[in-house]
Amino acid sequence: MPMHPASRHNAFTVSRRRFLGAAIGSSLAGGVRARPRQRVAVLDWAMFETLLALDVTPVAATELVQFRKVAVEPDVPSHVADLGLRGSPNFEMLRLSDPDLIVSSHWFSWIQDRLETIAPVASYAVYEPGRPPYAPAEQITMALGERLGREVQARSSLDAASLELAQASRRLAERTARSVFLINLGDARHFRAFGHDSMFGDVLQRLGLRNAWAKPTSYAAAAPVPLEALAEMPEAWIVIVSPIPPDAHGTLRDSPLWKALPAVRQGRVVALPPVNPFGALPAARRFARLLTGALVGAGGGVG
Amino acid sequence: MVDGMTHRPLTLAWFAVFAVALGLCAYQILRLLPLASGQSFDLDSILLFNSVLPRAVVALLSGAALGLSGALLQQILRNPIADPSTLGISAGAQFAMTAATLFAPALMDTSREAVALVGGLTVAIMLMALSWRRGLEPITIVLAGMVVSLIAMALSATLILAHGEYMMSLLIWGSGSLTQQGWGPAQALAVTLLFSSVACFLLIRPLELLGLADASARSLGVNLPALRLATLAVAVWLATTVTAEVGVLGFVGLAAPTLARLGGARTQRDTLVAAPLIGAVILWLTDGLVQLAAHGSAEMVPTGAATALLGGPLLLYLLPRLNLSRQAPVSGQPAPTRRIAYPAPVLAVLTLLVVAMTTLALLVGRGPDGWNLATGQLLTDLLPFRAPRIAAAAAAGGMLAAAGMILQRMTGNPLASPEVLGVSAGAGIGLAAVLFTVSNAPMGTRLAGATLGVGVVLGALLFVANRQDRNPERLLLGGLAVGALCNALVSAAMITGDVRAFQLLAWLSGSTNHITRGEATIAVTVAAFLLGLLPLMVRWLEIMPLGPDQARAIGLPVRASRGALTLVAAGLTAASSLVVGPLSFVGLVAPHMAWLIGFGRARHQAMAAVLIGAGLMIGADWLSRIVTFPYQVPLGLFASLIGGPYLIWLLHRNR
Repeated sequence: MPMHPASRHNAFTVSRRRFLGAAIGSSLAGGVRARPRQRVAVLDWAMFETLLALDVTPVAATELVQFRKVAVEPDVPSHVADLGLRGSPNFEMLRLSDPDLIVSSHWFSWIQDRLETIAPVASYAVYEPGRPPYAPAEQITMALGERLGREVQARSSLDAASLELAQASRRLAERTARSVFLINLGDARHFRAFGHDSMFGDVLQRLGLRNAWAKPTSYAAAAPVPLEALAEMPEAWIVIVSPIPPDAHGTLRDSPLWKALPAVRQGRVVALPPVNPFGALPAARRFARLLTGALVGAGGGVG
Repeated sequence: MVDGMTHRPLTLAWFAVFAVALGLCAYQILRLLPLASGQSFDLDSILLFNSVLPRAVVALLSGAALGLSGALLQQILRNPIADPSTLGISAGAQFAMTAATLFAPALMDTSREAVALVGGLTVAIMLMALSWRRGLEPITIVLAGMVVSLIAMALSATLILAHGEYMMSLLIWGSGSLTQQGWGPAQALAVTLLFSSVACFLLIRPLELLGLADASARSLGVNLPALRLATLAVAVWLATTVTAEVGVLGFVGLAAPTLARLGGARTQRDTLVAAPLIGAVILWLTDGLVQLAAHGSAEMVPTGAATALLGGPLLLYLLPRLNLSRQAPVSGQPAPTRRIAYPAPVLAVLTLLVVAMTTLALLVGRGPDGWNLATGQLLTDLLPFRAPRIAAAAAAGGMLAAAGMILQRMTGNPLASPEVLGVSAGAGIGLAAVLFTVSNAPMGTRLAGATLGVGVVLGALLFVANRQDRNPERLLLGGLAVGALCNALVSAAMITGDVRAFQLLAWLSGSTNHITRGEATIAVTVAAFLLGLLPLMVRWLEIMPLGPDQARAIGLPVRASRGALTLVAAGLTAASSLVVGPLSFVGLVAPHMAWLIGFGRARHQAMAAVLIGAGLMIGADWLSRIVTFPYQVPLGLFASLIGGPYLIWLLHRNR
């Protein structure tokens, strides 16, 4: 298998394949489907949803069973092959799905050498400790769009996301006084708090709200935090991102401490449907939409 | 040695520990009282009455329950390393809760204690069914317990891996957290402890007779199986209630009775009273320190990890002072029905089986279009992925088998296995340290980190080994303490729940998926080198089971040979665990299989064990690749599922 020297280290370097793809993509811009065979396999969920947003259907992606449950959107076509767990992607399946490009992230850099024996690898990083991920997600959407000859879709994807966030921000303008806890419930007694370097935290800030979790995080979130930590900011909203584990339902129903929290007493708790916590622009849009709907719809704690 | 003179200062020392724990708890309470003027007590009073106070009570009750459970188990099994975790009771309870979370969520919401009890009892009943015909013989029950424990752990890890969304929840239970938001868990624990104490009071006289040999106890009119059954049930109930309410707090059940004996508890009655008290104080103190450390920081160390952190080194320090000869002696390794007269043909058959297994694994697989027999171009395409993992699996299996055989012969303890040594868990610490300090660590850095972790654990073990001239069980106890410490640290690292945690979990459950050709080459080279040293050592291994005095009489340099063997066994374990993770079930099973087939002499047993280990691992790796394709089940699971039932069957047959 010949190696693409250009794609080996820097995904942003122009490779012949990408150049060709871009040229054809721009000359045929207008929706003609006669582009060259483009078989993309993808390992990272943020890249996966970005590709789907660019109208590129990968031939294979990781952990589709969970993706359909946790990320929910975009919709995954049924002919996409499942590469197994993100923690141990199936190399044989990847090889047999015969990709001509593998889109990966820095989380998979430890297997990059092996991936490159299958196909050229384009690796990007949305999440880095301490860095809000929305802007990197935008850059990566553009970079992938350029690489795959989908600049038009990339640009419109960016615009649609900014528009959705701007609209959400206007709807929430009345409700920015209180800060917001963004949490996943881990079990009956602990949660995971999303910080400013998570996609949820970044979107929250872009919507003009304050994150109640100001403490350090480790890769976007701090976990596990005992529920009583929610009492430290009695004025804040509590936003629970699903899924909620089964044994936590009892806590939300019966726990004296939970029921005594000011936010709970005053109805300032909302539960959102599942959103991919390590997603890109599609996850950001979904989160903004769900959060806005929930906060505007919730009655308690005006302002 | 511990004697009457040191009794009083040790008791005083425990009062000092109690006072420190009390002080830490008082600090937590004082922080919340409205001492400063103008401070609102509304929210703080909620925290005080629903979080701080129940947490202290739960710490005391859980510690007492685990101490009592461990004391009961150690007494009825006459094994100083028996506790709810080595017997698989905690693992059974945790597996039941994991399965319930995923498949019957409503049960977890309404009746968590019952789910855990069912899991723990199932393990206990299985253990008894397996060893009933041997009159619940202690060694069989512990051996079977470790087998069941490994299977349960492997199944739990598989379920967690297959359902990423619940990982955080399951891992918190795994490492034990004492956080409270009400009085429910405290009440449940109090009820269990109360009933168990009453049961203990009734059982205490017959239990004292259990310290005697089986025959003497029987002649005194004790119904041994019934007594053991009743005691086991109480111990299981105590341990599973704790697992259900706060998760696995592994070290306390092992440490409390040991510390009680060190503190001068001579009779059963003393131990059964002292162990719960000591367990309660240890856990309370540990939790107080955890809360002190967690104050103001986002990251929370689970108390389960911290007990091992404090307790592991403590046990290592105390080991040289522990008089193990006070324990009634346990029965020896199960004997084979007969020895093989001509080992060569049987070894040839084993070799053929390994070759057949390798061929199967190389050629048969699954793809997007179903099953395939890889030949020609397809084989050329897939070979770069299949060959390294098969080679690495074979090397690892052979090395684990050899390590297990060395340990079992050297210590004269059939329970010895590389996993008990704790060296493989040390690799996990190194790996975790690399993953969490270097972002995007390449494979070379990971290997370096894991090797360093192994080196540190090895150093600690050698330190213990140097001081254990008289009693080989100290090495096992030391290894167990180190292993518990490492596993707890790895669990603590994993509960952050991010992608690095996922990589750790994948390693922990033993995945050969990521093995490259370079790594496979290294594994095979190391295996060839270390296994090549074995022929030089078989004479030692032949003599060592006779005991150090015999060995010395024959002219064996006991200390030097034992040091060399420890080094080789640790090296074998380290190299294999870097490749296939720490689940080293093969290291326990393969030497047993070789022994039970009838390979009596060390030379033949070593060759047979290495072949069996390699074959088992290749088969397990093949199954892990194809059974849930494209999802890959951990290798450790299939190693357990192939080896476990076979070992149990053999134990059963050779009564």
